[in-house]
Amino acid sequence: MGEMPVTAYLIVSALLFTIGTIGVLVRRNPLVMFMSIELMLNAVNLSFMAFAHFLNSVDGWMFVFLVLTVAAAEVVVGLAIIVSIFRTRRSIDVDDLNSLKG
Amino acid sequence: MTGAQIAFFVLAVVAVASALGVILFRNAVYSMLSLILNLLSLAFFFLTLDAMFVATIQVLIYAGAVMILFLFVVTMLSQDTSNTNGPDRLRWQAVAGVGFGVILAGGLIIALLNGSLAHDAHAAGLDTLSNAIAALGGNTQAFGWALFHNFSFPFEITSVLIVVAILGAVVLGRRLTSRN
Repeated sequence: MGEMPVTAYLIVSALLFTIGTIGVLVRRNPLVMFMSIELMLNAVNLSFMAFAHFLNSVDGWMFVFLVLTVAAAEVVVGLAIIVSIFRTRRSIDVDDLNSLKG
Repeated sequence: MTGAQIAFFVLAVVAVASALGVILFRNAVYSMLSLILNLLSLAFFFLTLDAMFVATIQVLIYAGAVMILFLFVVTMLSQDTSNTNGPDRLRWQAVAGVGFGVILAGGLIIALLNGSLAHDAHAAGLDTLSNAIAALGGNTQAFGWALFHNFSFPFEITSVLIVVAILGAVVLGRRLTSRN
């Protein structure tokens, strides 16, 4: 069948994780930073799936399922926080969010 | 080059290019659409790894439900944020971020290529995953069997987590002015 080795999947996963990290470090829009976090979660999901396939075990699928659920919950709460910050400050630039006062 | 290898390279190029699009587009809506493309390409990766059920829930939950929620918020906020962005006050941030990213990518790939982890990853003496799935009666059956036999406690914890997330979203989303 000539399928790809597990290292190839892991390299793609490492590249996606790195791109997500750079996005969190560089961008100032919290929505784009959030998308970069999703990118990192999905990169880890890809390596879980690759290991599940190459170790002949479906346990990796379970971790992907749980990561997916946690990511969905995280998006719900994170977007609610961003919207409420926007309501009070009319701006969501993370460089402006330098005070802990409400 | 077999079909599986061609599919892998096409998917890898699409995944990395759309991931770059997420962080390079100036407009957050374009970043969003690029992220949806990335999630879809990952779903196709899962299909090539014999995980049809997980690919389906990736498309339904992630690329469907979660991203629609994301797109609502992005389109609600992006027109206000795109023109309030002034000049970057911390310009060294971008250089430092890309530098750390290159170091991270290099470290990860060197660790992958040198580590013994990847070399013995193909477990010896077992059936392939597709045979094991077929023995359990199908992809969804294998998923459910593993979830409710070995991972039932994390599954229950997940339901608690979802309740907490719903309550948190309700508390954060209500208008404070309606209280007084």
